[in-house]
Amino acid sequence: MSDWLRQVLIAAALAGAALATAPWVLGEFEVSLALTILMYVGLAVSWALFCGPTLYLSLATSAFFGIGAYVTAWGLGTLPYAVVVPLGGLAAAAFAALVGAAVLHLRGAYFAVITFGLGELVRHAIAYFEKSYFMTVGRVLTDTPEKTTVYLTVLAIALAAVIAYALVRESRFGLALGGIGADEQRAQTLGVNTRAVKVAGFTLSALFAGMLGAAIAVRWIYLDPPTVFNPFIGFQTVLIAMLGGAHTLLGPIVSAVVFSLFTEFLRLRFPYAYLLVLGTLLIIVVLYLPRGFAQLWEGWRARRDRPARAAESPRA
Amino acid sequence: MPEAVLRAEWVSVSFGGLRAVDGVALEVGPRELVGVIGPNGAGKTTFFHTLSGVLAPTAGRIWVAGADLTGRPAHVFAMHGVARTFQTPRVFRGMSAEDNVRFGLAFAGRRRRHPHDAFDDARSILGFLGLRSEAAVAAGALPPARQRLLEIGMALGARPQVLLLDEVAAGLTESEVQATAKLIARVRSELGLAVIWIEHAVRALLDCVERVVVLHQGRKIADGVPRAVARDPAVVEAYLGIEGEHT
Repeated sequence: MSDWLRQVLIAAALAGAALATAPWVLGEFEVSLALTILMYVGLAVSWALFCGPTLYLSLATSAFFGIGAYVTAWGLGTLPYAVVVPLGGLAAAAFAALVGAAVLHLRGAYFAVITFGLGELVRHAIAYFEKSYFMTVGRVLTDTPEKTTVYLTVLAIALAAVIAYALVRESRFGLALGGIGADEQRAQTLGVNTRAVKVAGFTLSALFAGMLGAAIAVRWIYLDPPTVFNPFIGFQTVLIAMLGGAHTLLGPIVSAVVFSLFTEFLRLRFPYAYLLVLGTLLIIVVLYLPRGFAQLWEGWRARRDRPARAAESPRA
Repeated sequence: MPEAVLRAEWVSVSFGGLRAVDGVALEVGPRELVGVIGPNGAGKTTFFHTLSGVLAPTAGRIWVAGADLTGRPAHVFAMHGVARTFQTPRVFRGMSAEDNVRFGLAFAGRRRRHPHDAFDDARSILGFLGLRSEAAVAAGALPPARQRLLEIGMALGARPQVLLLDEVAAGLTESEVQATAKLIARVRSELGLAVIWIEHAVRALLDCVERVVVLHQGRKIADGVPRAVARDPAVVEAYLGIEGEHT
């Protein structure tokens, strides 16, 4: 086990223990805000798990999230919450595996557009299905679990995503993902089954997004496709990961915290201007900090360590 | 005769109406060092793509160590012991030289064994190539000639049986070309690999290999010992004649 991996595991354990006390020490508003933050930590880290090393730009997060949420909408009541949540993850993962096999040969903007389209496709398919077979446009959730249960579940999934990210990065699988990002064909000629690795990475990333969708769906009392397949969730995830630096672990985590607080503040204070501010921020980062705010930190560290090391892999 | 490590049977590649490679057959035995030459657009690189699985041939079959791999993806070729370099060096620029070599060892080279201790790990491979002092340097920061060497190191990391070198001497100075030719000879004699070497700098190649194949307009027009091939009228007309006008 590398030093880095050990540090991540220890930090995750400590943070997990501290955060688990939140429902008993913080007020309702703070816990609700923490829930949002943890949701975006999980989404952004699992997004970066695949998209960070491979440089794929996936907008499928809202599709995975929505599929998970709908598993809860359909299953809760007949199945316990503890079963519905992993089931939501598995449903999203199965969808990702199926779709990934078909679209992961695409790159860049083509891949981004098709993954966005997939979200819309699933949303409309579910809306149609609900209307034709159940004569309904949305669902009211009853038998929802305690708020504390939801919070702890989301915390556990976010921590699992962080740990999965760290384990993947240290593994041959992570090395293969990095090789695909650096030069896919070269990686293949050195023995990487690139197709299988890409589908597996995409699927793993969807597993977490789906579980988060399923876990957090109970927050809404009334669920319909436009709510849970909200493209905003997908965009926000990408934005958070890219702002923080999708090639790092700490970047998306810090960014999820700062960004969620910032969004909350803007939404309360400037309900009409806040999307404008977010959009401007994204443009600035894409233009001047393509590797996110992690770039500033890495630049500072490189200047400090310049004589000591000529080459180091960016880690945070 | 021992089993061929690599056999191409009447391989053709068409792009639309263009026949880039037209019915080329080639059989390479263990420890053989074969040069492939031909004027620009002769189909050398396209032929190499089929030998390494990067491109599936439109017609014909490719056998690697007795297994028919026609149409299989490139990683399967690598698993069966085919490693290659690319015309423009394709190293993982952000990774250190050592990690570049380790990549092949972690995948195609993982289950493959090679008796020579130069293949033990990334350090020993870098040592064989004379790159040990640059192990920690980011691959993208190496000068072009060292990047070419490193790319050979990445390919050796796959612990191959046959090494395909695509113009590894292009753009190098005369002394670097000589050093590369010497290295290629050592890969064969010391490591015991079969080597297929495409090159445009014909002189250095002819001095180094024992067998040379000439491609012209997608067809194989000669195959034999360098001295005989160099005198072949068809070759002189197609290739050396043109080259002679330039030099």
